Amino acid sequence: MMQFTETPPPPLHQISSFSNFTMNKNQIHRTRPWPGFPSSKSFASFGDANCMEQLLVHCANAIESNDATLAQQILWVLNNIAPPDGDSNQRLTCAFLRALITRAAKSGTCKMLAAMANAHCNLVVHNHKFSVIELASFVDLTPWHRFGFTAANAAILEAVDGCSVVHIVDFSLTHCMQIPTLIDAIANRFEGPPRLKLTVAGAAEDVPPMLDLSYEELGTKLVNFARSRNVMLEFRVIPSSYADGFASLIEQMRVQQLVYAESGEALVINCHMMLHYIPEETLNPSTTFSSLNPYSLEYYSSTSISLRSLFLKAIRSLEPTIVVLVDEDADLTANNLVCRLRSAFNYLWIPYDLVDTFLPRGSKQREWYEAAVCWKVENVIAHEGLQRVERLEPKSRWVQRMRNANFRGITFGEEAVSELKTMLDEHAAGWGLKKEEDDLVLTWKGHNAVFASAWVPAA
Amino acid sequence: MPVDLENSSTASGEASVSSTGNQNAPPKSTNKKKRSLPGTPDPDAEVIALSPKTLLATNRFVCEICNKGFQRDQNLQLHRRGHNLPWKLRQRSNKEVKKRVYVCPEKSCVHHDPTRALGDLTGIKKHFCRKHGEKKWKCDKCSKKYAVQSDYKAHSKVCGTKEYKCNCGAVFSRRDSFITHRAFCDMLTKESAKVQSEEPNLIEGMVKPNTESDPKVQPVDSSTSTPPTAVLAPALTKSTAAVSSSVSPGQSSEMPENSPQVVEEAPLSAALNGSCSSSSSSSSTGTKSSSVFASLFASSTASATLQPSQTPVLTDLMRAMAPPERPTDVGSSSSTDPIALCLSTNPGSSIFGSGGQEPRQYSQPAMSATALLQKAAQMGAAASNATLLRGFGIVSSSSSASAHEDSVRWSERSFESDNVSLPGLGLGLPCEGSSGLKELMMGTPSVFGPNKPTLDFLGLGMAAGGATPGVGRSALVPPAGGALDVAAGAASLGGGGGGGGEIAGKDIGTSS
Repeated sequence: MMQFTETPPPPLHQISSFSNFTMNKNQIHRTRPWPGFPSSKSFASFGDANCMEQLLVHCANAIESNDATLAQQILWVLNNIAPPDGDSNQRLTCAFLRALITRAAKSGTCKMLAAMANAHCNLVVHNHKFSVIELASFVDLTPWHRFGFTAANAAILEAVDGCSVVHIVDFSLTHCMQIPTLIDAIANRFEGPPRLKLTVAGAAEDVPPMLDLSYEELGTKLVNFARSRNVMLEFRVIPSSYADGFASLIEQMRVQQLVYAESGEALVINCHMMLHYIPEETLNPSTTFSSLNPYSLEYYSSTSISLRSLFLKAIRSLEPTIVVLVDEDADLTANNLVCRLRSAFNYLWIPYDLVDTFLPRGSKQREWYEAAVCWKVENVIAHEGLQRVERLEPKSRWVQRMRNANFRGITFGEEAVSELKTMLDEHAAGWGLKKEEDDLVLTWKGHNAVFASAWVPAA
Repeated sequence: MPVDLENSSTASGEASVSSTGNQNAPPKSTNKKKRSLPGTPDPDAEVIALSPKTLLATNRFVCEICNKGFQRDQNLQLHRRGHNLPWKLRQRSNKEVKKRVYVCPEKSCVHHDPTRALGDLTGIKKHFCRKHGEKKWKCDKCSKKYAVQSDYKAHSKVCGTKEYKCNCGAVFSRRDSFITHRAFCDMLTKESAKVQSEEPNLIEGMVKPNTESDPKVQPVDSSTSTPPTAVLAPALTKSTAAVSSSVSPGQSSEMPENSPQVVEEAPLSAALNGSCSSSSSSSSTGTKSSSVFASLFASSTASATLQPSQTPVLTDLMRAMAPPERPTDVGSSSSTDPIALCLSTNPGSSIFGSGGQEPRQYSQPAMSATALLQKAAQMGAAASNATLLRGFGIVSSSSSASAHEDSVRWSERSFESDNVSLPGLGLGLPCEGSSGLKELMMGTPSVFGPNKPTLDFLGLGMAAGGATPGVGRSALVPPAGGALDVAAGAASLGGGGGGGGEIAGKDIGTSS
């Protein structure tokens, strides 16, 4: 429970007095504080997700307009109706609640909320540092990642058929968890397996899931595993960060192309839920620009092309054999807090909902899982500018970006689709697979969760 | 499934197949001229729209006597016979059967459209239940729910049946999670490290010591969780050394003289003979020498773990090796010259230098071993116990003449290869000991690959550092027949290589 430094707001049955508050200019004075507010006096009716969303939206508005009192009142209500150990809606709302408090505490004008935040001791989400084995089992708890892995591996295998050397550049949130199955598939499929080279951008990001192993050690394990499957694997880490669009990695790749023009080498760019951290257009260019940016200074500021677009163009210039892009299908880039909150609320209910199907309460893995989602919520709601790294874009926008960068979409084969269907069958009911033009979409209860797309350079 | 064609089945009082329920439109006969998607119904087929009630109905035909329900009228009629009631079994009508297709009553469903109708009654029933019905059946193991009982039954048959076990004890129901785990599991690191450092591991299951063996052999039995021949390997070297040393000083067994040791020998031989039979290759040769040879093998397993007590064993074996022709005062030599006998302790000894000059003292099947020893002796002292051992092991377990000729060929072949450090049996390692062995161990299974420069006896090349330890080991796993032809070994290797402990049964690391 939150500790308030001042007297709690009046009980709910006196809320009719709320009508005296001017929340925003468009608000009509009603006996109920705002439209949609249930007239019932009990908290039970607040269990509705819609209602919670409304409350969160109003709270966000209050915070943005520096209305500390109102914000506090709504937060109090929210705190009562959304315990952190409630049902999926409640836990979702609780995460948003915490994020809003954090946000309010950061904005200088809401000092009272800052006091609240201090009292709310566990606002900071502690993210577990996974051991590599823990992470391996963690990513396979749901098809969330395995969907992208399977689709990507299938597309990659098709694309590198006949190549003697395959160079994979892995931009993945999951720290190479996709690679063992890729190695296994390559070993199984090709009689004389190609030589593999794996390059990863090994910046120590603070984004969950975090690994307690260095990339060097991780690479050693992968090389060892590849050897056990009779596949030669070279592993390389290039310190590079999404914050500058992986500029140093791109540079290295360019140099490598110039110096070692290996014929018959396939270049595979595997992007798994990582590209959405690269700053895009909504991030104010003047704040993101740094003198270390290897992308052309004048070009950037004059044409205001985002790092994200520049990254894709740079990838295109490397003439890859195939680019696989897997990411979460949601729009969390709006600059307006309320819009962003709505989008996030209407997307992030999915991980909270599905966790009930596969992880029992109180299990460690469930804690880690929910902590990771919480982190995401907090990042989207409570942070701004460079700190707000979770900049998800919907599939349609990514498709547009890829086309703008002169890529052409390719379809996933029938084998891939049937493999995915089999994989989904092995998980709880509720998961679905959709084909949208060339791309595949993983759905939960019909709602888009993750999309997978494959691209080749357009002529 | 045959559909009751007669509409008069409504006589039973239940809604029949071709009737419609309360809610739906009467059956439509539509001529569809347009084909939309593959798998769509015959355009001339009669489209039947059944109500949900009809589709979900089970046991529509009820016996009036005992109220037992049946899904088909014909089953009911057969049942009625049992009650001595009049029954009527309808034959299939001879006239041309009109193809029927069925649409789903659920309006939002894709199969509601007559052009997407399903051609089978059972099919539409199952479809309706699956998509629009309640999931009544739940799997206990994985909590998946099903609306159609046959789906549930099919699932429960496969649920939990396929399991992938990692050496570390973790069990997985899905292959991809198993692979991912395996890649990062410490067990893999340990296994590859083990293979690289412990050469004996390469020899697997070639000869298993008999469990009924005497105390000398028993300690090894307890350690046979690792491949038994692993332990076998170093011991065999010593035995070999013992053999050759027995040859060189011109010693031959003195049976009568060393009665106490003979007594010792007997149970050993018995044990060894027993173990011979376990390695079927050796058992096919009936000669004493070969069995003794194999016994050399097995007893060396014992001796491997019993350092100090090895000498008496070895001497016994030495005597066994050279029975009739030459008297051996092994008894005297054994106590006085342990150094000469134990190869492992004397890498630089001249054991082989002097040995192997009298191949004729061994009887036929063991000839190849002698030949090998001879050549090994020519190569000089070896520090690599295991390689000699492996060579030995291979020789002894190859039963037939052809097999041993193969091994002779092998040894010759390996001599031919340009090889400073791995001649013949790999004995030429100049006191490098384990380091050379490591290289050996890391050899690739591509014995027959042209690009492998150095091949030791087993054809394990040194050069390919990327060899899979698992594969290397499997090279030495003899085929079931037991005749360790290296070619066969390599062939099985080619097929089984890279298994890497994937499926429990194939997991080399967990070989018993």
